[in-house]
Amino acid sequence: MSLQDAAIAANRFGLGARPGDLKAIAGDPRGWLKAQLTPEPALPAPLAALPSTADDAGAFQKWIRQAGLTGSINAYAKAPSMSGGPMPGAKPGSPASQPGFSVEQSFIAFFGPRYAQALAARFQVATTTDRPYFERLTHFWGNHFTVSSAKPITQAMPPSFERDVARKHAMDHFEAMLIASCTHPGMLIYLDNYISVGRHSLVGMRPDLVPKPLRELLKGLNENLAREILELHTLGVRSGYSQDDVIALANILTGFTVAQDGKGGGETGLFRFQPYAHEPGPQTLLGQRFPQQDVSQGAEALTMLARHPATAKFIATKLVRHFIADDPPPRAVDTIAKVFQVSIGDLKSVCTALVDLPEAWDPTPRKMKPPEPYLISAVRGMGGPPLNGLQLAALLGKMGQRPYYAPGPDGWADVEGEWIGPDPVWKRLEWASTVSKYMATASGDPVALGEALLGPGLTDATRKAIQRAESPAQGLAILLVSPEFQRR
Amino acid sequence: MDRRQLLTTFGLSIAGAAVPRFAFASAPTDKRLVVVLLRGAMDGLSAVPAWGDPDFERARNGLAIPRPGEAGGGLALDGFFGLNPELPGLAGRYAAKELVVFHAIASPYRDRSHFDGQNLLENGSPRPYGLADGWLNRSLAGLPAALRTGRRDFAIAIAPAMPLILRGAAPVTSWSPSVLPPPDADLIARVQGLYGETDPALAKALAAAGEAQAAAAGMGGGPGEGFGVLMAAAAKFMAAPDGPAVAVVESTGWDTHAAQAGPYSVLQRNLRGLDGGIEVFAEGMGERWKDTAILAVTEFGRTVARNGTAGTDHGTGGAAFLVGGAVAGGRVIADWPGLKSSALRDGRDLMPTNDLRGVMKAALTQHLGVEPAHVDRVVFPDSAAAPAMRDLFS
Repeated sequence: MSLQDAAIAANRFGLGARPGDLKAIAGDPRGWLKAQLTPEPALPAPLAALPSTADDAGAFQKWIRQAGLTGSINAYAKAPSMSGGPMPGAKPGSPASQPGFSVEQSFIAFFGPRYAQALAARFQVATTTDRPYFERLTHFWGNHFTVSSAKPITQAMPPSFERDVARKHAMDHFEAMLIASCTHPGMLIYLDNYISVGRHSLVGMRPDLVPKPLRELLKGLNENLAREILELHTLGVRSGYSQDDVIALANILTGFTVAQDGKGGGETGLFRFQPYAHEPGPQTLLGQRFPQQDVSQGAEALTMLARHPATAKFIATKLVRHFIADDPPPRAVDTIAKVFQVSIGDLKSVCTALVDLPEAWDPTPRKMKPPEPYLISAVRGMGGPPLNGLQLAALLGKMGQRPYYAPGPDGWADVEGEWIGPDPVWKRLEWASTVSKYMATASGDPVALGEALLGPGLTDATRKAIQRAESPAQGLAILLVSPEFQRR
Repeated sequence: MDRRQLLTTFGLSIAGAAVPRFAFASAPTDKRLVVVLLRGAMDGLSAVPAWGDPDFERARNGLAIPRPGEAGGGLALDGFFGLNPELPGLAGRYAAKELVVFHAIASPYRDRSHFDGQNLLENGSPRPYGLADGWLNRSLAGLPAALRTGRRDFAIAIAPAMPLILRGAAPVTSWSPSVLPPPDADLIARVQGLYGETDPALAKALAAAGEAQAAAAGMGGGPGEGFGVLMAAAAKFMAAPDGPAVAVVESTGWDTHAAQAGPYSVLQRNLRGLDGGIEVFAEGMGERWKDTAILAVTEFGRTVARNGTAGTDHGTGGAAFLVGGAVAGGRVIADWPGLKSSALRDGRDLMPTNDLRGVMKAALTQHLGVEPAHVDRVVFPDSAAAPAMRDLFS
């Protein structure tokens, strides 16, 4: 029986305790965590109700069509905020042909409800799940392999990417998740690989065979995905690969694209290997030769990268940084890297080993919660308030972490310096002060709530500050912004 | 809560800080420096076309900004270089001798990762992750006494999260537009007390936040959070007599791998936003504009030739802008390497011939008056190869 370990399990590994949780898991906190490391029997209903990957992948073109915009998709792909219609070349009678048409407003009207639904689903699952460690891992992997809505053409993609790649493979081998990521339309579009063409491929040699609107896009090699795979997804930056390796991997991945129509195989909107765009011939990556002539070249290369010792080290460092400390203890990193290597990247074994790290059970909470986990833990703790998708987007945007809008392919930062600036700290205080007025009655005595959520982690200083508060609402606000509630 | 209440709430933290507080007793010097971080790598040859180079149109391979007078043509500067047509404000500043344009310039970073490139640009060492804090923060310890006196904050980031360039030991603050009502003064005081007892990092952050809120009193949120809104806010802070001497504003979305040409491209939109934001800022500064300099920098340039997707990829040399009433402008500073294939770095990038640190050093020493020895030793270690450029300020 350890309430302290229970608080660590629920807060450091989970998404924050709910009243009653600590007592329920105190008998075997480690066992409670490990029992969550199984594939999900079924998708949570709110996630199952979200659009399919193929539907997400087609959403951008559907918007272009519905609005009546014409011309190159890429003219709009990155610039939805231009405004003032009618648009040149718009289909007669379409919205885009009307005076006062705004591309930006049309974009928001089309994608806004979709985004709000996805956000509400993500938040609902996170605030109600009984498997919060598993849920944390899906968020972790969704951030490791970032696909961001910040790029308009992938606005709709992150929710299905997170569900069908990060979540689906959270208990799989890492190489399976890596391959799933590199064959998901979200990643292929986000990092431009879907339009990358091998120089000596048929499309590269005979652009005249390509229909004219596509020709402008499909003209050459794009290194973006290959570079980020090496730098962000597998080996890690400065791990010894060269620009030649980036180009070799980019060549290997030519032809990894998204099916645009039923012709040539592949369901529209899903992964398709396009041999006519694939750079022919063997490639040498990290000194290893890949002679395959087809999609298996990519599969082999990605598998090699997933099993590389630098990848084990890089992933171990990120996991230990995420769960334990901004400066990951080297011994803990070595332990996890070893498990990763020995198990060939078996994520269940790796996540079990994280629970077994002695460093994980240090009672001092070190990690500052980023805004979204902070909000999730507060809502789990108070049992409310209900927040819809648009409210979540506005609130978390103000706190500096609008979900699915990571600023770049490296995802959200995982160190305190990113989240403890004056403005984020102020925004949390603003929210705590506002919400506590609504939630004080429902959540009862704030000292008791603090004990229920933090166990022995509630410090004397915070307990006293809550006790001295002028009202239950003020006491609740102090609990919500206390150092031990903002950290885990 | 009004500004006075807030100041009372935070009075303790101000008194406790090492900075003497003689508001208005000795007039702070009026110099102001804004660093604008253009994240994503701005395409220097689109922002500042080099029409004087006989290889320009050929090398850009379809991405060349048309010459003045042609359809969609740019704005002439000195006969060799020009400006993108979306930068009319900057062209006006050039004519008013308030703008220096730098070209073929780069930080010491020579690889092609945004994250490493931005990290180096902000940490100020010659290596990514070479230092854990930011050069602009380290410079603050060397500000002359006149700039330190009577100031609530030396520096402010107009951003929801503190960028690396301003992270470090010197007290700095940040601000971004808000929607919720502010917490009452009593709650703030209690929370500040609690943090003071148990969590120095949170205590420091909250104290700084309170200062920024006091300064922003009555400002409210803007209609959006575009670059113009952020620059307007920066001006509001900096125009105050005791406002911060230094600000950082971020602009994102410059990573134009695809479809970067044409008036509706994201690149053109970004340039339009940059130009408008600088004008909004200049207007907001009023009289103080004459003492102000804005330095707009990016982590690296982009490839000279158009890539397979009608955009450009990560390159090396690029452009930067130094603009403001305090700038000795009306010049393009470039040791032009040329655009012949043989002159390009790795056969693809504009060869950098100037070091951005030389401009940054000049802004610190010649404009703000930071001790040169402090700049060479602490702010930009291992930077002997990049002496401060001379005569950039009037």
